[in-house]
This record gives sequence, structure tokens and C-alpha cells, in this order.
Amino acid sequence: MEINVLTFGQVTDITAETSLKIPDVKNTDELIQLLEKTYPALKSIQYSIAVNRKMIQENTMLQNEDTVAILPPFSGG
Amino acid sequence: MKQKKIHKVFIDGPINPDFIAEAIAKHSDKKNIGAHSLFLGQVRNDKIGDDEVTAIEYTSYHEMAEEKFHEIREDAFTHFSLICMHIYHSLGKVNAGEISLLVFTSAIHRADAIDACEAIVERIKKDVPVWGKEIFSNENSQWKTNN
Repeated sequence: MEINVLTFGQVTDITAETSLKIPDVKNTDELIQLLEKTYPALKSIQYSIAVNRKMIQENTMLQNEDTVAILPPFSGG
Repeated sequence: MKQKKIHKVFIDGPINPDFIAEAIAKHSDKKNIGAHSLFLGQVRNDKIGDDEVTAIEYTSYHEMAEEKFHEIREDAFTHFSLICMHIYHSLGKVNAGEISLLVFTSAIHRADAIDACEAIVERIKKDVPVWGKEIFSNENSQWKTNN
């Protein structure tokens, strides 16, 4: 079981990596807990989560090879 | 199944005014159009203390952004009576004074063109995973926030 995590913008400034491989997490809550433990600065910024390119609002079960994107507030245009 | 037509939205660097003029000219053979509405987003030289923004560097979550642009496009055709629409957004560096976004809607009557254009711009700012990093004259930078 391995999850692909993608980071963007301010989140990449914190993780210093644009993509991470995270093993053995069952759902997005577990993943976020782990990421915030590894990168405490994440707790101080706003971000949303997309699983396989779809925004999620609630804890979501993850499957092997799912892609979870950690998205800071959008600022296009 | 209806095939999903891919519309190229992202442009490397600024959107050239000649490109915009050409986009307008291309519609001259669609003679049922009575109104075009264009929104052009331009990079502004915001000032913070003695520094000012000299450029914005745009990045995106490309695959998701393409899907969102497609969804926005489909919704616009559902909600407004449009003949055609085009969206172009810059990626990479765009200097202050240059264009980074073009939304171009065409309809039989002006209300549809204008309302659709406005709705599309709002959706792009809110829903599309694109980020702008403001580059200052002293080479500092900060992530842009949308109002």
C-alpha cells in the first residue's frame, strides 16, 4: 500500500518536495496527521485536499496508488 | 459515447495582444454572433512598502486544472446561450503590465456573453488549481491571494 502525495505552492515551500510516497495510511485523516507530524509548519497554513483530482471535504478511504494533492488556496487569474 | 474534446488552455508566458486580436478575427465567419465579451487579467504592480510586484510566476496542478476548465466550460454552455467560448491562462512568468488570463465568450445577444464571461472568471479564480507567486523588485517573493 503506497499513496502518492503531490504538493503545490506554499505547501511545497514547507515539504521541499513536489511529490512524496507515503506507505501504510488507510485514509486521508491518517495521511494528514502523518504529514503534519513530519512537517509541523503545515498546521499554520490553509489547504484543501484532492483525491485523484477530486476535492474532498471529509475523511476519505485510500486505495493503493491513489494520488492525494495538498492544495493551498488557489490564486490564478 | 461523446468524445471529450480537449481545449488547450495554458499558454507559456504572457498572452500576447496579437494573439487576442487574432482570436477575435477568427470569429468573423460566425455571422450569427451578435456580441463578444472579453475579460483580460493583467498583472498589477502591487506595492508593499518600497517594493513592488514586477512579475507573477504561475504554476498549476495541470491534470486537475484541465479537468476543472473542462467542467467550467460545460457548465457555461449549460447555463448560458453561448455560441462559443475560449479560455487562456498563462503559466510561468508574466511581467507586470502583461496579460495572464483571457476569457472570451460569444453569443447572439450581449447579456449571455457578458454574464457567462463574468461567471467563468469567478469560477476560474475559485475552482482552478493555479497559483501565482508575486516576484518583487528586490527579488523577494510571496504567494498571491485572490480576493
